[in-house]
Amino acid sequence: MVGKRSKGAIVALVVIAAMLALPSAQSFPTGISGVQQSGCNCHGAVPSDSVVASIDGLPESYNYSEAYELTISFQGGPSQEGNVNQGGFHLWASEGTLSVSDATAQLYNQNEAGHTGAGNDQLSWTVTWTAPATDKNVDFVLHVNSVNGNADGVGGGTSGDMWSKVAISVGGPVEVLEATDPFVVLGVLIIVSASLLAITLAYVFYRKDPDAFDWDNFAPWLAGWMTSTDHKKIGTLYFVAGLFFLGVGGIMAMIIRIQLSVPGNDFLTQEQYNQFFTLHGTTMIFLAAMPMINGFANWMVPLQLGAEDLALPRINAMSFWLQPFAALLIFTGIFSGHGADTGWTGYAPYVVSEGAHYGTTMWAAGQIMLVASSTLTGINFLTTMAVMRAPGMGWMQMPLFSWSILVANVMLFLSIPAFGVGLIQVYLDRVVGTAFYDIAAGGDPLLWSHLFWYFGHPEVYVVVVPSFGIISEVIATSSRRSIFGYRSMVYAMAGIGIVAFIVYGHHMFTSGMSPTLRFVTMLTTMLVAVPTGIKVFNWLMTMHGGSLVYRTHTLWALGFLVTFTLGGISGMFFPSIAMDTHLHESYFVVAHFHYVLVGGTVFGFFAGIYYWWPKATGKMLSEKLGVLHFLTAFVSYNALFWPMHRLGVWGMTRRHHTYFVTTEEALGSLPMEAAGWNMFITVSAFLFFFSNFILVFNIIVSSIRGEDAPDDPWGGWSFEWMTSSPPPAHTLYKLNDGSWGIPTLKDANEHIANEPGWLSSWFQRLLVTDEDTEEESH
Amino acid sequence: MSYDDPHHPSPWGPHDWKHGSPHNSWAPFILSMGVAIFLFTLAGAFKWGEFQGWGKVPLIFVGLGVVGFGLLIWWRQDISFGVNGEVFEPKAAGAPFQNIDIRKVAMWVFLMSEMMVFTSLFSTYMRYRFGIASCQTVFESGEWVEGAAVICFEPASHLIASSWFHIAPGAINTFALIISSFTIVQALRYAKMRDIDEDVRRRKITRYLGTTWFLAILFLTMKMIEWFLGFPLPEFLHEFNHGDSTINSLYTEGYLINADHYQHHEYDTHYLESNGHGLDHDSDLYAMMEAGTHPGGHMMANIQVSATTFYVTTGTHGAHVFGGIIGLSYMTLKAARGGYTPDNAVSIEYFGLYWHFVDLVWVLVFPFFYLY
Amino acid sequence: MAHYKIMGQDPYWMNFYGLMILTLMEILAVGTDLGPAANSLGTEEKVLTLWILTIIAIPKFIMIAAIFMHLYGDEDSGILTMTALFPAFFILIMVLFVGLTHPNAASGLPDWCRPGNYGL
Repeated sequence: MVGKRSKGAIVALVVIAAMLALPSAQSFPTGISGVQQSGCNCHGAVPSDSVVASIDGLPESYNYSEAYELTISFQGGPSQEGNVNQGGFHLWASEGTLSVSDATAQLYNQNEAGHTGAGNDQLSWTVTWTAPATDKNVDFVLHVNSVNGNADGVGGGTSGDMWSKVAISVGGPVEVLEATDPFVVLGVLIIVSASLLAITLAYVFYRKDPDAFDWDNFAPWLAGWMTSTDHKKIGTLYFVAGLFFLGVGGIMAMIIRIQLSVPGNDFLTQEQYNQFFTLHGTTMIFLAAMPMINGFANWMVPLQLGAEDLALPRINAMSFWLQPFAALLIFTGIFSGHGADTGWTGYAPYVVSEGAHYGTTMWAAGQIMLVASSTLTGINFLTTMAVMRAPGMGWMQMPLFSWSILVANVMLFLSIPAFGVGLIQVYLDRVVGTAFYDIAAGGDPLLWSHLFWYFGHPEVYVVVVPSFGIISEVIATSSRRSIFGYRSMVYAMAGIGIVAFIVYGHHMFTSGMSPTLRFVTMLTTMLVAVPTGIKVFNWLMTMHGGSLVYRTHTLWALGFLVTFTLGGISGMFFPSIAMDTHLHESYFVVAHFHYVLVGGTVFGFFAGIYYWWPKATGKMLSEKLGVLHFLTAFVSYNALFWPMHRLGVWGMTRRHHTYFVTTEEALGSLPMEAAGWNMFITVSAFLFFFSNFILVFNIIVSSIRGEDAPDDPWGGWSFEWMTSSPPPAHTLYKLNDGSWGIPTLKDANEHIANEPGWLSSWFQRLLVTDEDTEEESH
Repeated sequence: MSYDDPHHPSPWGPHDWKHGSPHNSWAPFILSMGVAIFLFTLAGAFKWGEFQGWGKVPLIFVGLGVVGFGLLIWWRQDISFGVNGEVFEPKAAGAPFQNIDIRKVAMWVFLMSEMMVFTSLFSTYMRYRFGIASCQTVFESGEWVEGAAVICFEPASHLIASSWFHIAPGAINTFALIISSFTIVQALRYAKMRDIDEDVRRRKITRYLGTTWFLAILFLTMKMIEWFLGFPLPEFLHEFNHGDSTINSLYTEGYLINADHYQHHEYDTHYLESNGHGLDHDSDLYAMMEAGTHPGGHMMANIQVSATTFYVTTGTHGAHVFGGIIGLSYMTLKAARGGYTPDNAVSIEYFGLYWHFVDLVWVLVFPFFYLY
Repeated sequence: MAHYKIMGQDPYWMNFYGLMILTLMEILAVGTDLGPAANSLGTEEKVLTLWILTIIAIPKFIMIAAIFMHLYGDEDSGILTMTALFPAFFILIMVLFVGLTHPNAASGLPDWCRPGNYGL
């Protein structure tokens, strides 16, 4: 039986479909309306086959600016020789200029011409068309009607009136494809990926719970997700949103790379390019990385602490739902070409100038909502971790992932108000007309940089520190031992958290900031290497003292160690003011932060996804596909970003929509090899982009026919491995005495060694020689 | 899985007990949607301070309405909590917050971020206040010519602290906030009293919360008087106000965010001379005018930045007061229904923490924006 | 809730009176002509006012936080005071770096920091 609510849903769907279909029916083809589709109102509603219209004198392809004499004629229909009125025409040309040469035709505008009253007694007319001066595809649409029009009704009927149309397309001297609008590309890709995501999700959830997709259950099922305050459901929602926007940001990156693949490319105009890199940055940081961190944190922090939920569940739902609406605001304007074009840093005074697109206001508004979301998240997680640890779990027994979320949230939460206030200032400047950044009124654009980077630098640590936590968990579990130097790991993370606040000046060395502050931040920035180095060496020591099992997540963790360390080393060039002045705004910077944000953060996320997927879903991911994903992604990733260092040193600037190469030593141009490297980077970028679809495929396959996961597939020993996979809505843990309940610290599992799969065994043979193993066993 | 999933007990939240009301909530979704609509439509109705016509204005109220609807849903789930004696206040499990209510910790954590919000605003103010020469200094330096605007910083206190009458709304506000801080503490005290009659307690709490609500309204009213309305003086006080019958608001004085041609009579050499006390003889301007190198006249100033920092900082504080009013409306209503008992009196304490914090901010805003 | 007395009286009332008196002093300090006092101290009137206002604001701040917000005298006061003071470092950094750095640094560099100065 179809319920009342479902009927309503069907009607709503039909209405929506009709609303979507209607405009497309009315607006085809583009240009003029009415006359094209149905003739003019006075004639018949449908075209007639018996009337044949033709245009003579059109070339196959035109020459620039040449004038062509076109003869318009028709045959057939009710028109008869000797009638007073025979017929008429209407011609539309998409490009070029029409003109008329005699009294039988008249011009409506330069694209449209028709017959005059005097021309009613003709079967053919003559108009002149001047071709455009540039290469274009020109469409001609001709309507004619044939009438049997004797005013007095003599010599034939008065009723005969038939019309017909013909459309002709003419190309320029060289047959060209019309340049694709990149926004259309972006829009289509986003819609395609959103639909694929929706279908995939629907199918995955259908497999899990077919009943939910009954007519009667679907609306409540969907409402259950939209209203849920359960940390696991919200964590899943965060993941769906985060992965979707990771894809959207990736699509933008690909469009940027297409533009940069060859020198002097004009696929994107400068304005479009500005919007693409702005939204790429904002999307990746705020709509992809942060939600995924929150996804991990929502799922795992309560499980790791032995808490039943977060401290403030409804606030948690609020944190999530602010994000999709914020995303809508941030993307406002992009498809009409008025999206934010300020860079994710949104430097003043451009951001408040009238030259910046309208979308910038919405970009600021959306981020204000994200600030609110992050503040609520911060309150929630800090409180949870401070008050809801399981009995017996002190600060120094908290798993390192929880610690990393704690440190990240402290940083985020104490720094983001500065950003929020800065954004409100920008929003008010743009909307209400305040004068915070109005240079003419004495406003100080550096103030924005200060407020932004006071937040912005902690923010980049906020996105990387949770990865540290994931890597610490993964490496310890995979090494089959506890982490080396737990306390120093905690202090190093806390140290990073504190130092993060006093280093931000290094983003502003070339801005004319106070010299004293430049000096201070130069020293403190160099200090960042110390805690980070401690962490890297602790990870190495953990592996050194342990016995590594090569699972997919282990491989990602190892990849992380390599790429993050490389990114950290390139980062050590920037604290030096002299080096920074040289490398500022170059591709070296782009290479550096992609090495830490992709090689650090995203690799950490992948490790985390492979590590915790079985726990969260109860299904194992395929190791074969996982290793394939790692190998392709790791290789293409390095091929993608490593050459950027070189381009940066050559002087290729970021945030510029194109570049030029030359054989001469000219200022502002790159050597000839730069073109080749850029093409190489673009190809690698596509490989990297598509390699990640292996993960998507893996997830789909796992959801449909993955093996059931055991409670502790990897031999992890924090609390989350003590509950079932997937955990029940109300998390219960299997305690040492065999009962289920809320754990205390002494319940933590014995560490169980786990045998690796065949591919991993192969890796193990490759990397750990038999002698080593023998030595260890002695 | 379905809509009414068996409620799993989570540590706190009135929506969570075996209490009848659902665990799930539409409020977060609706509130977020409302905020987005509001921010979107507000930017449609104004651009760079220019009103874009009434067409978009109804949509702003649609946004606010959706926010209000979300709040109502949120509160509807909570308001009956405590009325029939059911309370559940989870406590922190481990060190260092052992046995402290979780919500109290959360409130303090929230206040931490609020501190950073106001620090950002104060930093902005300091940067401009110390970075831009004050109008008085610029005027006396003589580095201006009549008819061309100079950029300088005109603190609002120059207008507000210029007479007892001008400072009156701000001073009343200061006392109003301190008294309201006191009344909310009194409400808490009575809510916690176990040895009084339930009805007496209910009335006491309602009255004290109601007083707090009233004082908060008074605060915003005074703010409007000070910013936009001004007020008339009774006849016998005119002589103390240079013979003027009204106290001008900041708006009337031209202290505005778009004031790029601001003039004040104290920056007018003719006015200063005709009013007896003349120009400061130590100033450069006096020396230049004596030497004939400066013609004197009426200085014109661009004070947009000064007005912006003043209005936005005190306005942010005002917005916090407004948020408090909304919270207080709900709490007064709940108190009138007998919703606060000694067992859940802590709710008043947590709102009180926020309210005292707003007072604390005023303790800093008042001297540095109104007096200095 | 307060479990102590100030001078034998209810702490909230005493705090309330104290705050009232301090606020009155603030307003009076602004209304009074401090010119002669400032001159005798060799400073400007405005600077003297700023100091007086700051010095009065600090006890007011502490009184509200300690007594009204229960950061003094409750069993949980200690740890909550620590929580409240946690952002102090970050506030200090922001005030120093954002509020008090020189906004005209580019044009206001000291001589030793300008091109062409080699300290010779």
